[in-house]
Amino acid sequence: MRVPPKNTVDALGPFDRALWRKRRDRTAARFADADFLLVETVERTIERLEDIKRSFPSAAVIGAGNGAMATALQGRFGIETLLQLDASSVMAQMAAKAVPDAVTLVADEEALPLADASLDLIVAPLTLHWTNDLPGSLIQMRRALKPDGLLMAALFAGSTLQELRTHLTHAEVETTGGLSPRIAPMADLRDLGGLLQRAGLALPVADREIIPVRYANPFRLLTDLRAMGESNVMRDRHKAPLRRDTIARMLELYAGSVDATGNVTATFEVAFLHGWAPASTQQQPLRPGSAKMRLADALGTDEKPAGEKAG
Amino acid sequence: MTDIDEDPAAEPRLVDPKLLEALVCPVSRGPLSYDRAAQELVSERAKLAYPIRDGIPIMLSDEARQLD
Repeated sequence: MRVPPKNTVDALGPFDRALWRKRRDRTAARFADADFLLVETVERTIERLEDIKRSFPSAAVIGAGNGAMATALQGRFGIETLLQLDASSVMAQMAAKAVPDAVTLVADEEALPLADASLDLIVAPLTLHWTNDLPGSLIQMRRALKPDGLLMAALFAGSTLQELRTHLTHAEVETTGGLSPRIAPMADLRDLGGLLQRAGLALPVADREIIPVRYANPFRLLTDLRAMGESNVMRDRHKAPLRRDTIARMLELYAGSVDATGNVTATFEVAFLHGWAPASTQQQPLRPGSAKMRLADALGTDEKPAGEKAG
Repeated sequence: MTDIDEDPAAEPRLVDPKLLEALVCPVSRGPLSYDRAAQELVSERAKLAYPIRDGIPIMLSDEARQLD
């Protein structure tokens, strides 16, 4: 059988996935310094799962990180088998230590080693925004779910880092007279909802949480982003390296935007995507013409024959 | 990699045939078999062997060993 060329999508996509993995490897040791957004995402994912009245015997976490998600999931929601996957082997080792009862694997979000219809639940916290082929990843996850299995993904979207983006744009134009891609483009919530549907997930829901983070010093935001493994891995990033004076000007502009408490804000928008692998037991739209009640009765009004002018 | 962190306790779970059934080769989507001696998960269809390091299977095609 022909083996497809390696990293075909990777070579075309905006992100250098190998570099992203390397960054994640390198940052694993200090990930705990800035895992507050993952902690927040885990909490909100768990809250949402608590509202769903069913059990999930086999579950997988895609983007294991430091094991925070698997730690929160294990022994709950009827989970018997728990897998956790991370693209970084160093991160995976850390997750394996944190959750020894889970089965830990190193795997790429874009080439998942999960058999079809093998899982009841997939949770994917905060790595999918770095995929070159998000629709492809969602389709792979849907395929790995049993009928009526649930996907709950969380990724940075929309207004994430809007302040940094603005200040950096101004600083770069001022100091260099030009612009380069510095902050990854963020998907729009509406587009993400559409992607769920395109991936073949039923009852799709996309909503978001806006998480404003306050910093006394904007430099700390840059340190945190690095510790989260969120620094720029865009393929075009090296064409014009970020200059020292540009960073200095950006920090100056950012520091100028302090609020009454003397802090600056960094906005993070986390999109939460839910969808179910289709199953005949799910609520289905009725067939046209199968109504058992007249619309006019439901509205408490008189039905007028078509063609007759109302009122 | 060092083998200081080697955790033999993580191994038996992998051998669990039910678990192995839930995994496929990420390249060919074919089945995997466990080679205990070599500490590899072998995909006959893709002719690739994925290494297991410290009890963690590395399911990345660019880390896999090409089989003849």
